[in-house]
Amino acid sequence: MRLPLLALLAKEPAHGYELKSLLEQTFGQAYPSPNIGQVYVTLQRLERDGLVRSQDVVQAARPNKRVYELTPTGRDALAAWVEEPSDGPRIRDDFFMKLALSPLTGATDQMALINRQRRHYLGLMRGLSRLAAGADRGNPISKLLIEGAMLHLQADLDWLERCQEELV
Amino acid sequence: MAVVAGVVTALLLSATVLEGATNPWRGLFAQTDGAQIWMRLAPGTDVRPLAGIGGVTAVAGPYSTAAATLMQGPVKSPLELRAMTPAMPDVGRLLVRQGNWLNSTSPNGVVLEASFAQAVHAAVGARLVIDGLDGPSARVRVVGIADTSDQGFYPDQTPGLVWVLPRLLHQVEPTRQDTEELVGLRISDPANTSFVAQQAVAQLGGGAVRDVTTWTQVEQSMARGDPLLGLLLALFGLVALGAAVLVIASATGGRVLVQLQDLATLKTLGFTPAQIMGVVVAEHAALGLAGTAAGLVAARELTSPLLQGLPASALPAVAPLPAAWVILLGCGTEFCVVLATAIPGWRAGRVRPVVAVRRSLPSGHLSWLARAALLSRFPPAVVLGARAAFIRRLPAALTIGSLALSMTMITIGLGFASTVDDVQRHPADIGLAAALTVSPGELSQAQASKIVYSDRDVAAVYPSVSISALLATGTTTITTLGMGTSARAYPFNVAQGRLYHAPGEAVASQGLLDVLHLRIGELVPIQINGVPVIFHIVGRIIEPEYDGQVLAYGLDTLGQAGVPMPPVYYSLVLRRGITPSTARAHLLAASGDRLDVRQPVDPASQLGIVQMMLTGLIAVLGLIGLTCLLTASAVGLRDYLRDVGALRAMGLTPLQVMTSLVTSTAVLALIAVAAGAVAGTALSSRLINAGAQAYGIGAGIGRAPSAAAVAVAVAVAVGAASVAAIFPAHRATRMPVATILGAC
Amino acid sequence: MIGQARPLAAGQARPLAASAAGTALLRVAGLTKVFRGDGGAVHAVRGVDLSVARGEFVAVTGPSGSGKSTLLHLVGGLESPSSGEIWLGGKRVDGLSQARWAVLRRRQIGFVFQFFNLVSNMTVADNVELPALMSGATRRQARARREELLAELGLTSKAGAAPGRLSGGEQQRVALARALANRPSLLLADEPTGNLDSSNSGDVLRLLTRVHDQGQAILLVTHEARAACMADRVISLFDGMVVDDAVVFPPLPSSTTAASVLRLGGDHGAGRSSLDPC
Repeated sequence: MRLPLLALLAKEPAHGYELKSLLEQTFGQAYPSPNIGQVYVTLQRLERDGLVRSQDVVQAARPNKRVYELTPTGRDALAAWVEEPSDGPRIRDDFFMKLALSPLTGATDQMALINRQRRHYLGLMRGLSRLAAGADRGNPISKLLIEGAMLHLQADLDWLERCQEELV
Repeated sequence: MAVVAGVVTALLLSATVLEGATNPWRGLFAQTDGAQIWMRLAPGTDVRPLAGIGGVTAVAGPYSTAAATLMQGPVKSPLELRAMTPAMPDVGRLLVRQGNWLNSTSPNGVVLEASFAQAVHAAVGARLVIDGLDGPSARVRVVGIADTSDQGFYPDQTPGLVWVLPRLLHQVEPTRQDTEELVGLRISDPANTSFVAQQAVAQLGGGAVRDVTTWTQVEQSMARGDPLLGLLLALFGLVALGAAVLVIASATGGRVLVQLQDLATLKTLGFTPAQIMGVVVAEHAALGLAGTAAGLVAARELTSPLLQGLPASALPAVAPLPAAWVILLGCGTEFCVVLATAIPGWRAGRVRPVVAVRRSLPSGHLSWLARAALLSRFPPAVVLGARAAFIRRLPAALTIGSLALSMTMITIGLGFASTVDDVQRHPADIGLAAALTVSPGELSQAQASKIVYSDRDVAAVYPSVSISALLATGTTTITTLGMGTSARAYPFNVAQGRLYHAPGEAVASQGLLDVLHLRIGELVPIQINGVPVIFHIVGRIIEPEYDGQVLAYGLDTLGQAGVPMPPVYYSLVLRRGITPSTARAHLLAASGDRLDVRQPVDPASQLGIVQMMLTGLIAVLGLIGLTCLLTASAVGLRDYLRDVGALRAMGLTPLQVMTSLVTSTAVLALIAVAAGAVAGTALSSRLINAGAQAYGIGAGIGRAPSAAAVAVAVAVAVGAASVAAIFPAHRATRMPVATILGAC
Repeated sequence: MIGQARPLAAGQARPLAASAAGTALLRVAGLTKVFRGDGGAVHAVRGVDLSVARGEFVAVTGPSGSGKSTLLHLVGGLESPSSGEIWLGGKRVDGLSQARWAVLRRRQIGFVFQFFNLVSNMTVADNVELPALMSGATRRQARARREELLAELGLTSKAGAAPGRLSGGEQQRVALARALANRPSLLLADEPTGNLDSSNSGDVLRLLTRVHDQGQAILLVTHEARAACMADRVISLFDGMVVDDAVVFPPLPSSTTAASVLRLGGDHGAGRSSLDPC
């Protein structure tokens, strides 16, 4: 949740409850709704890492609320995250997060995001093809593994195109 | 369906015209609202009871009639005057072909019957002299010429008919007792003719009725016995039927082929093979029925202008075919359709449920011929197109077959036309070298001879006699002709052997040779006027008259044999460019009208009809052939279209694609037409000669079609096929590439 | 990161402006194609620029309806563009007549289609030999080239068979052989694996790569990443326009394992969702 929170704060400072409702608004029913406790824990950790800083705002007739805002370090971290193509185990989630939040981050346009991700996929596919070419012909397990990976990659690319159609 | 309709229309029209040509009575009868029964009654008979006889719908007349004679110099022609009023009756009308009908402003006007007028050389405006039985003669003027269905043609049927106003008849034949009353009965059911006739006679009393003629007698007497015409028309009909069957077969076969995909779908839905065959046959039978019906209607529509009547010389009177024929034709066509559909239908029933249409194409390879052609820079479009035509062997063969058959018929037709043309231009070829025959008439032999020999128009004179002779069997009489002398023989057209050169030699016609079982070179003994003579047959001539049984020799043979010479007439061959009527006029003028100059009956004149019919039939055949070709090319196009995309990608320009598509049609057309032309040329003279031999005229009149005409026909056929193929080909090149490439 | 593709810098968006343009085999500028149909105008291709250098393997991908096939047809002269320029081998070809295009297709362009489009009533050998015969080779030349291609593509045993009896993969190999018959400078392939199963696709792609290694320039249109990734460059088309034009870099060999792609284990961040606090 770190990066989505950073992205949300990139637009304007906000306090915990605001961030929680923003998250719910952005991702709707598809994502499990985070509880306020998790939000506060993450914010504290971010502050500890120097990516955000907080301020207490005095309110009349109410308890003070803590408003968080992005530090320059935080901004850099956010930019770095956006610029790199998503990779790793939850590749899809990560990328989708970026796509969904990009109007807020204002860092880059969605088409470029998609293109970057697509190139990455293509490179992966190329690598898999090489693997398949050099694979042991007599080993069906290895062949199947590679083929499975290729099919997944194709599915991801198709999904990428759907995103392109819908969001751009 | 259109093909079937076209074929039916064509067949019906042809049959109608054929019928009209060979049986003119029906047409005349229909157009004149004729009467089936004609009775001659004693003058003054009361005819009112006739109207009450069961089956009689109308009564014509009574008309007064009187016998008389037409005087033309020495020539007397028997005729019958019939008194009619200026108002044309409803029943038993007359068809005025030239001039006008009788009217009261010309009391001396007469109308002649057409065949009589032709025989006596009387045209509208001619002035004639008619003598009555007892003498009073009348000078009359011909105001019109008409056709009637009451009586057969003159001079086969005498007397000739002349219609006059009642006053004129009374003038020529004042004696009432010498006249007769002519009454016509129109009945509702022609099958009852004899019954009604008997009743009529009974009604009026035997004493009153002098003679009864019925329509069957008239019809028979009018039937043209022209053997040449009958032969040609019969042959045509047979081959037309064959071509029609082939055309229908290929058209329906092609349609089934197109539907193959749909039929496969039906199979997946659960239809059994038998059901599929039933579906196919039923659908095409229904279409065939619709086509036949359409064809019948179209033929009816097209016949009505013919029914209005064209000039007699151009076309014989036609009548709608008897219903029985029409039904027979319709059923026959329908049967053909069903039969033609049965086999493709059965094969369709066996089609696999999922038709991989690609697999159904027979596999082929680039033949060495095609490869060589491509290597030698032959236009690839032409080579590929020519290959494409034969992707499916059977439909291609069928198309070629039916088109070739049509072309064969067309070529035979051209051969017929050239034969007829030849006969018309060289009447000597069928034994009509002499354009005129002259008898002394009122002059003496010497005087006549002098005039004839000194006439400028005459190229040659052959003194001739005609004597009947008795064959050795003692029972058969034949006509023998002594024409010219052995030294200067009449220029018969000798088909085999040679003309007679010495006394005792003779030439004979095919019919005579057949009857006597003789061959050239044999001897035949006959008796002429009681004198036995032995003739040596040296040649075979072509002779359409005399039933094809005639023996000809030089006059000097008679003298040598001691046969008394009968009166000599002169057969005249005219100089080129002189018409018989001109020469006749000169001769008559030179002799003061006392010479008897006649034109022999010219069988070639009736052949003018054949020319017309041939043109019409050739056109119809051409259309049939074209339709069948286009149907075939549509199927082939579909097959070839799949390859067009690949070929375009390989570098064929749209023009080349179109060329190849047109070529595929043109190649089929070329092969078929060439085959047909060759077959037709080979067959045509053989056919005519065979027929002529069978009829006794004698082989030798057949002519091959003129090379120019055949070449033109071939060019036109291939050209028409190519042009017709251009349209679908053009459409195919316009199809978007994606469609062609994606189409599986 | 496991694999990455180098993005184009701002100045590199228009390859045509580069000095490589002079030696480009194929150059396309502002190509547009509008189809007018019953439902109004369809803009299949909108202002596309691309280039293919000699011996280069370029793939064009995009969702269906993005105009890929139309673009290929335009480049091959099977459709004529509504506007734009096409330069082949340094000569401008977009305005050529159909006849001239056909000559080009005979000599300089080879086509491979999704549905194979073999001439159905000729044997395999004849199909392969046909282009040579049609373009004026001698008998010996045509025969030699045919044998060479059949051997190269492993079709010698099927030389006398009818195309209808071959499997999809074999038919596509025949199509490839036919396309290469006249040694075209540019090979155009429209979804060549679109109608093939996985193993046949692999065969055909391997063949294409081999042909490319021998120096053939290829322009491939496909919606399958497996095919596209074999190219040197991948152009992405969306709604008739180019949205990306990038060189494909395969990842470092040591770091690619199928398992990693399948997230079956190893590598950083395994097992955690991005939304989890970390």
